[in-house]
Amino acid sequence: MAQPSFDRRRVNGPEESFPPIFPDLPAEPLVTNGKRRDGRALNDVRPIFLQTGLISQANGSAYIETGNTKIACAVYAPRQLKNAQYSDVGRLNVEVKFAPFSSKIRRAHLRDVEDRSIGQLVYQSLLPAVQLHLFPKSSIDVFITIIENDGLESCVASASMAASTALADAGIEMLGMVVSCCSAINDDGIWLDPDTAEVKASRGTLLLAGLPALGTITNLWQAGQITSLDALRCIDACHERFKDLHDVVIDALMQSNRAKQAQALS
Amino acid sequence: MSSLVLPGQPLGPSAKGSLGVYVDSNGVHRASLIGLFKPDKSIMIPKLRPNAPSENSIVIGTVMRLSSQQASLSITVVDGIALPHGEDYVGVIRQQDVRATEVDRVKLGDCFRGGDIVKGQVISIGDSRSYYISTARADLGVMFATSEAGNPMEPMSWEEMYSPRDGTREKRKVARPTTE
Repeated sequence: MAQPSFDRRRVNGPEESFPPIFPDLPAEPLVTNGKRRDGRALNDVRPIFLQTGLISQANGSAYIETGNTKIACAVYAPRQLKNAQYSDVGRLNVEVKFAPFSSKIRRAHLRDVEDRSIGQLVYQSLLPAVQLHLFPKSSIDVFITIIENDGLESCVASASMAASTALADAGIEMLGMVVSCCSAINDDGIWLDPDTAEVKASRGTLLLAGLPALGTITNLWQAGQITSLDALRCIDACHERFKDLHDVVIDALMQSNRAKQAQALS
Repeated sequence: MSSLVLPGQPLGPSAKGSLGVYVDSNGVHRASLIGLFKPDKSIMIPKLRPNAPSENSIVIGTVMRLSSQQASLSITVVDGIALPHGEDYVGVIRQQDVRATEVDRVKLGDCFRGGDIVKGQVISIGDSRSYYISTARADLGVMFATSEAGNPMEPMSWEEMYSPRDGTREKRKVARPTTE
């Protein structure tokens, strides 16, 4: 690129420059012998680390890690509704922000369209579970920060679970714990909890969120090319995993309770 | 033996108490909070969570604004639990709710001043902007105030406070001090 003008006040770079040339490496196959690159089977989700109490200034908080995806969630509730509108049920506000360094391509500092649409999805997953009628004139604010993003659908799923755990940690009355699982469909079959490369190689994705304690579904999001029969198969595959995910959430809450009791005694 | 219960967990049909328990569409009693399920079938919440003010809660707040019709309060303590810093609720004490007798002859300037710490009771959750608070009881009203010179004042009677440091007396609607 030739510099159009030579600026004497500044230290100038070279007048002409060219981008570096990277050799084309052969892409690592996504599946070998029925196992994915990280050793998982097709219907395995990534191991989950979930812990509460990360953010001390919030009423409740949770941090979740699955594979490379890292998400922190803070809940501030109940707070007085700042809007002029009176309502005799509470309002749930979910705000999601991808950190600028979270994905391969740098993101904007301000919330953009994708942040808002992910926030809307998490809101839809959580809304039926929160007993808003017990919080008149109050707002329940959930702030989700995605520190690292490895798979957009898995971000939504993990964010919903972290938010539900943080709400329980904050002492907000709920109908049950929300768990969420995502899947990608390919000609090979259905892959659960796909990461970024696997989503890119798939035809379509499907995300399912629900309350296993009550056996209900709160959200279903499908993207890409999926036939109705395939969609039903994806739903079944995700639903089968709900019990394991619920056990993870329960375990995290019980551990946090034990830690709080130990702290109270000391 | 109390056991830990989590939201959504089914409790026995004899679970009682409305706090932390709800009934789902199939009639099953379930927990709605993380708590201890005590042998007497009620839920105890180990963590003291700050609540939004509800009817009949006792609140403590600071007087922010004063007019001839009402005093505006920044509520910081609800039912004995302090709200997190920066999260206050807005309450309003109307002229007719300041005391129980002679309600139309109340002069708000003789009852409250800006910066007073007031204990009140919520009479209604009010409208979009504020909760309605009443101090019409002997033990409700100004708990702590400073005189015009800035010195702390002690209660003298239900309508007067006295500052020992500068000797001034000022009129307030004073709360009867409790032993706790």
